[in-house]
Amino acid sequence: MSHTVLICDDAIFMRTMVGDILQSAGFEIVGEAETGIQAVEKYKQLRPDLVTMDIVMPDMGGIDAVREIAKFDPQAKILMCSAMGQQALVVEAIQAGAKDFVVKPFQPSRVLEAVQRVLG
Amino acid sequence: MDTSDYAELFLTESREHVSAVNHWLLQLERGAGGDEPVTAIFRAVHTVKGMSATMGYGVVAELSHEMESLLDRVRRKTMVITPEVMDVLFRAADVLEQAVEAAVAGDGDDVSAAPVLERLRAMGGVTPRAEAAIAPGPMDEQLWTAPAPEGTGRVVRVRLVKDTPLRGVRAFLVVQALGRLGEVTGVSPVLASLQANEFDLDFAVRLRTDALPAEIAGMVRSAGDVALVQVDERVRGTPPAATAIRQPPSEASAPAHAARHVRIDLRRLDALMNLIGELVITRGRLQQIGAQLGDPSLDETLAQASRLIGDLRDEIVTSRMVPVWQVFDRFPRLVRDAARGLGKQIDFTIEGKDIELDRSMLEEIGDPIVHLLRNAVDHGIEGPEGRERAGKAREGRLVLSAARDRSAVVIRVTDDGRGIDRVRVIEKARAAGLMDAAKPDLSDDELVRLVSRPGFSTAERVTDLSGRGVGLDAVLSRVRALGGSVDVKTQAGVGTTVTLRLPLTLAILRALLTRVDAELYAVPMTHVCETVELKSDRLRTLRGREVLTLREEVLPLLRLRDIVGLPRRAGEAREHVIVLELAERRAGLVVDGLAGQEEIVVKQYDPVRSHMQAFSGATILGDGAPALILDVSSLS
Repeated sequence: MSHTVLICDDAIFMRTMVGDILQSAGFEIVGEAETGIQAVEKYKQLRPDLVTMDIVMPDMGGIDAVREIAKFDPQAKILMCSAMGQQALVVEAIQAGAKDFVVKPFQPSRVLEAVQRVLG
Repeated sequence: MDTSDYAELFLTESREHVSAVNHWLLQLERGAGGDEPVTAIFRAVHTVKGMSATMGYGVVAELSHEMESLLDRVRRKTMVITPEVMDVLFRAADVLEQAVEAAVAGDGDDVSAAPVLERLRAMGGVTPRAEAAIAPGPMDEQLWTAPAPEGTGRVVRVRLVKDTPLRGVRAFLVVQALGRLGEVTGVSPVLASLQANEFDLDFAVRLRTDALPAEIAGMVRSAGDVALVQVDERVRGTPPAATAIRQPPSEASAPAHAARHVRIDLRRLDALMNLIGELVITRGRLQQIGAQLGDPSLDETLAQASRLIGDLRDEIVTSRMVPVWQVFDRFPRLVRDAARGLGKQIDFTIEGKDIELDRSMLEEIGDPIVHLLRNAVDHGIEGPEGRERAGKAREGRLVLSAARDRSAVVIRVTDDGRGIDRVRVIEKARAAGLMDAAKPDLSDDELVRLVSRPGFSTAERVTDLSGRGVGLDAVLSRVRALGGSVDVKTQAGVGTTVTLRLPLTLAILRALLTRVDAELYAVPMTHVCETVELKSDRLRTLRGREVLTLREEVLPLLRLRDIVGLPRRAGEAREHVIVLELAERRAGLVVDGLAGQEEIVVKQYDPVRSHMQAFSGATILGDGAPALILDVSSLS
């Protein structure tokens, strides 16, 4: 059975790209979120095996979303998607409950390695 | 640990590595030890490079990088050591030392490293910095740039994959993963630096855990982007104390000494702290009782005692005994450079490196010793041809030794040079009217006293021929100010030995209290050999001087009554003789009585009146009475 994924990013371009990478590796994309609030709602609703989370999103940022999700489900497996220079934010996200991170621009192999680590 | 602590650790450690570099450069120049010197220097500069890059000290990192590149070529035998290479390396070591100090002081850009960098590059060829810094050669795999952190448990060393994105966060994930196996008790660089990417690719974690090394390594790798992981077999149980500075990162980088750190036996320090703590408490009680009794004289004494206890506490907290090598280690370079400049060959050895002295004492004594060494090289030891003509080996010998002698430390500088030219000194002294023309010769003591007269030693004609004039007076006054004494033994054509006898600490002295009339005088135990009762049958007069015969030894006698200007006592009053030990001589001091030993805190004072020159300071005794401290070295 393939793993289910929720992709959270405000940019369609990024959602598409992450989706493609994961799909081609056999993952099932069960949902997408454009804001932090949406991310939390959809997580509760879909209970995916994996969440990819952008850091900067409108209305509720990725870090707060991680915090909310971890509160709801401490076992949630969240992979942060960050840009260079967001070091401190990534640390904060990990402290909030994220399990690992990937850095843009995405390389498929790196994304998949990180996903394996998060799920492993 | 905040970043300033970290800077201090960087400084301590880098100084040691620079010192190691100098040590091994000297070996390398001599051609001793095969490949070991190159390897050791390489390791030392590599470690400095890693640390300085971590700290963001650009100049230090660049310099150590270039040194490393050059040494790498030597190591790989694509380059041979020539005198020019040695010169550049020595110069680079000097600039590196300056750069380390400047970087920590916050003015790293003040050091002009450009000329030496250029020379290094010209010799070693330019190595792109990033490549060398990241690509580990076969040897680099054993070289970890991050020092082992404080804390208990095992040391886990981790190297991330080159080009790891956000390596700070990756390192954080590794630390977090390790936390799942037990308690992380220390991280190096500190977590905040790690998260800020302030490290090369290496970091180290101290982990207290029951997990096996293989499990630990597996956990580290599970965090991702890990190139290398090494779990130390040793487990440290007891927590390190604040005063113990940690293990060197690499045993091999420390030549000649097993440990190159300030080490204080904590039990001793703790015991002292406990005692002084108890004393402070007792003081509180005493003050309460004093307040209840309302006795003015008691109050006065209590106030006195309070101050003394406060002083004592401060001293215990701040005082640290350190081994002399911390200062002595820079001397081989100094001697080498001075000798080279003069075209002389000198075999310089240091003995008793581990003898300890009060830290501030050691700092004070550094300059006088430099003076003495320079004198020996400049004037004492002859050039190779001169030595050959004198029937000596072409290579001169210079020995600096430290030894503990009861409550004193004895430091000697011995050379096998030409000694003080007695004839010329006498000539000069007669000309200057400092010596009776009828007197045929001078004793060693007189000779030394002559050449160390301030005016005498700086007189042109003597300085360039006496071989001993320069700065000896400066050494003498400095050492006396520290409560020590100086002696010089010289033999024309054979050599000179200068002996310094120093108390162990500056502020607290153990003193023998002596009495003349109702007054007490303190004699530092540094100079006390023994005390005997004065028996008239042992007393003689020799060449107009009173002497005492003690076990076959004839000691000149001095009377404290004469020194302080009191008349001698009439009749058969019982008197005591304190046998004083100066650097190399002995003398007897006659006093009315002895009043025991006491730890005294030295108060410096200004000897305004000339006859007070016999005293180096004053102290307040336990009972509140003041006492003058005898300056033993001034007695003659």
